[in-house]
Amino acid sequence: MNFLSPRLSDLQLITYNQQQKMIWHIAKRELYDNLNSLRFALATVLLLALMLTNAVVYLREHPARTQAYHNAAADAVKALEARSTSLYRLATEGPGGLHKIPSPLRFCAEGDEVFLPKHADGRNYIRDIANLTAVWRMGYPQETPSLHNIRPDFTTLDWAFIVSYVLSFVAILFTFDTISGELERGTLRLTLANSVPRHTVLIGKFLGAFISVNMPFAIAVLMNLLLISTSDAVQLNAGAWGRLGILYAIVILYASLFIALGLLISAAVRESGVSLVVLLLIWVSFVVFMPNTLASIGSRISVPIAYVEFWNQRIRLSDEARAAYQDKYGGSQTKPPVHVLGEYVSKEAEEHERYNEAYLKEQIMQGKRARAITRISPAAIVQRLFESFAGTGFERHLQFIENVQRYAREYREFVVDTDRADPASLHVVGIREGMSQKPVSPEAIPKFKDTLSLNRDFNTAATDLLLLVLFLVVLMSGAYLAFIRLEI
Amino acid sequence: MLKALIGRELLNNLMTFRFAAVLLITLLLVVVNTAVLIQDYEQRLESYNNAVKMHHQELRNSKTYSTAYLFVDRAPNPLSIFNVGLDKRLGNLTGIYHGFVPTLWDAQMHGTDNPFIAFFSSIDIVFVFEVILSLMGLIFAYDAIAGERERGTLRLVLAQPIRRGQILLAKYISAMACLLVPLILSLLFALLLLTRSIPLSTDDFLRIAGIVFTSFAYLSLFYLIGLLISVATRRTGTALMLAMFVWGFLILVYPNLIRATVNPSADVQERTKTAKNQIQQIVDEYERERKKFLENKSVIGDASQFIEAVSLYTDAHVDSVTLSPYLENMSLISEIPPDFEKYVPIAKKYYSFVEPLATNAADKAWLVQKQALDDIFVRQAVMDRALLKLSPVGIYDAATQAWAGTDLLGLRDFFDATRRYRRVVIDYLYATDAFSSREWFVADKGPVDWSTLPRFTFERRDVGTNAKRALPDLFLLLICNLVLFMGIVLIFIRSEV
Repeated sequence: MNFLSPRLSDLQLITYNQQQKMIWHIAKRELYDNLNSLRFALATVLLLALMLTNAVVYLREHPARTQAYHNAAADAVKALEARSTSLYRLATEGPGGLHKIPSPLRFCAEGDEVFLPKHADGRNYIRDIANLTAVWRMGYPQETPSLHNIRPDFTTLDWAFIVSYVLSFVAILFTFDTISGELERGTLRLTLANSVPRHTVLIGKFLGAFISVNMPFAIAVLMNLLLISTSDAVQLNAGAWGRLGILYAIVILYASLFIALGLLISAAVRESGVSLVVLLLIWVSFVVFMPNTLASIGSRISVPIAYVEFWNQRIRLSDEARAAYQDKYGGSQTKPPVHVLGEYVSKEAEEHERYNEAYLKEQIMQGKRARAITRISPAAIVQRLFESFAGTGFERHLQFIENVQRYAREYREFVVDTDRADPASLHVVGIREGMSQKPVSPEAIPKFKDTLSLNRDFNTAATDLLLLVLFLVVLMSGAYLAFIRLEI
Repeated sequence: MLKALIGRELLNNLMTFRFAAVLLITLLLVVVNTAVLIQDYEQRLESYNNAVKMHHQELRNSKTYSTAYLFVDRAPNPLSIFNVGLDKRLGNLTGIYHGFVPTLWDAQMHGTDNPFIAFFSSIDIVFVFEVILSLMGLIFAYDAIAGERERGTLRLVLAQPIRRGQILLAKYISAMACLLVPLILSLLFALLLLTRSIPLSTDDFLRIAGIVFTSFAYLSLFYLIGLLISVATRRTGTALMLAMFVWGFLILVYPNLIRATVNPSADVQERTKTAKNQIQQIVDEYERERKKFLENKSVIGDASQFIEAVSLYTDAHVDSVTLSPYLENMSLISEIPPDFEKYVPIAKKYYSFVEPLATNAADKAWLVQKQALDDIFVRQAVMDRALLKLSPVGIYDAATQAWAGTDLLGLRDFFDATRRYRRVVIDYLYATDAFSSREWFVADKGPVDWSTLPRFTFERRDVGTNAKRALPDLFLLLICNLVLFMGIVLIFIRSEV
């Protein structure tokens, strides 16, 4: 027994090496077949054209976008510093406009960036309440650009679109006949007549398809990045390149998913014509229709009121507050004490802000519900992942809102603390006589800084990544089973 | 002979797996999406009805003429289920005021307008057809000739005394007969769902018939594209790849590519600026005349005292995006001052002088505005549409939008109606002598009686107008069909078997 074991392991080693060789052999053959085919040429041209357009459009639009952001942010800081003449002005007029920094990776995924507001407002935008100046509150403006837009609908040609639609389509076209085609031609019988295990053939075919799908894409991506990185208009930092690396990994996962699907159907259906029809129908339903249809079903679960109605209700609310003040103090000749007034103005602002935030929350909830249900479709998952790692779209906007709310707290604390530091003050925030009269140094005022954190992006993306891997594993094992049980 | 050929082809097509799969998926997609769209339509209709009720109530609550703001709402179009077009996107609520001319761009939105779900486009029936019918046409066509050539059956058929054109015709007729099954069946299901919850008029059914016919032309065009590829290539594999990439390019890539590369023209800002200046001049002139009247001591007396007594609020500005002038004059009287009666005749004179002035200024500005808005907003969209028509999808989309009345012209009809209604309201105000009445600015002798004011009504244009708008695109589709078919016949006659 003892002398047999080394031989056995030798044998295993040999077969292992042979197997590896065999895999490469099959992969190479597959690759050569594909490289010479029409589809490879067409896919390369298509992907290249799309990626180049993407880069050109991005380079045309991005500098203006960043410039607009920097101008707006600088103006906001200037306006804020101009208010530093008195603490009272800071307490009533607020921090002003808070602007969202545009992501340099917008060419990867534009998401719903066009529809989202680019700023939030911390100012005092309501009429004075009976000779009292109101205190600032956070407001979340709503931009509805489509209200003025009569141009035809379209999807931005970002990486997310190119990957989720075009690359998956290409992957299907490359794989629909890998097994059924050979079955029809009879070459599969030949291959399997050699002592090659079936899974080796499958892995070889997978690798071959994988490389031939990824090659045109890699060429296109490299051209795209070359154009973008050589341009002076945009500078991508180390963080951005890291994110691009993650995005590429997602592309690989997603492409593998569709290749596995192609192998599965190709093995299960036996006829290339039928296999293509099945694949196309699956593709159309999951990639084209499902994300939108499911989202419109999901968004119907909870529908917030329209912005116009919200706006009217809010006006009614502040009218009520004004009327309540009139009823209480309007008739009397003497002005009520300072702390009563202070409490009144800050309560009014607080309620107003709470109302704004409640509405925003409802809107976000609807957005979240609509998105959650689309996770059945891998295309929607990839869209979300691209958005989270490119720092654009919905999740990014939620981060921005969090940043804004944190800053608003910070700003309020700053006003209160500065007021407390002055012993001469009555500590009634929001009323001129009740506050510190000392000037404030403009440098000491906290400034809003919008940030993007990769940690958080990983957190939000983890579920989606896991789902994508799960889909891949299921499809891979499906393809394996279908191929093993295939009768030739 | 032709009959025999058609019979054979029909049988060949009907018995395939692809036919069953395509039928199933079309039915599924159309039915699911129709159900979603009907719900959506009902929700929009409810929001419209609420808005109408609310605005009616608001008007009845307005005690004086000058503080009243009339709102007009646009009802959702039931045919937006077929092609939503601009129906859900553009504003559906606009104000009517004599010192302001409503345009498409001033309208606001009632109903859902959450920016966080704006990303998901609504899938209408025409979109389903755009994607599925084209794919179907190509899948049925790619091996029609190339397959027979490979199998050698083409040679057999041609050995018979048949003309080549006849073979093509037989293939075309039988394939279209097959492809019509999923189209008609899914539409019947959709109509079944539709008529159960939404009342449709005879005109609507005619419009739907127009949409169906256009869909048919679109389907046929893609079948012919597939046939052309099939005739021109010798192998099914090549034909299939070409067909798929042509599909990907025409449906997926081209419509988006063209929108991305066409840059919104830079001179828009310049155009906006000049138009705004022109309108600002009109507004300034109005303001000058108004102030001149206020300074007229023999009529007004002391202007500031007058303004305070009737608590006059005025606003005259030009919107920087929509270029609309807002010329407002109103008395926000909360408490009537003791010597108010003294100012009543003066206020009557003031308003009966100023309000016609504001009306005329707004009318004058509209002449400038119309031209400018066309240049700023419409020209770009028209150019986009024209470029989109290089792909059959663009033609199909434009034609079905025109049938459904959700295209730009259909929406413009509504805004033309709002402007006509503004005229009606102004005429009503003149007829009731409202400008020089006491109720214009104060309600102490009883509020305004709004019951005689004509209500706003809007009827969509008749189906003839829809047809007139849709026919050019439909003819374009039909011409493409004919040209392609002739091209195919020519290539097939000259090709070797």
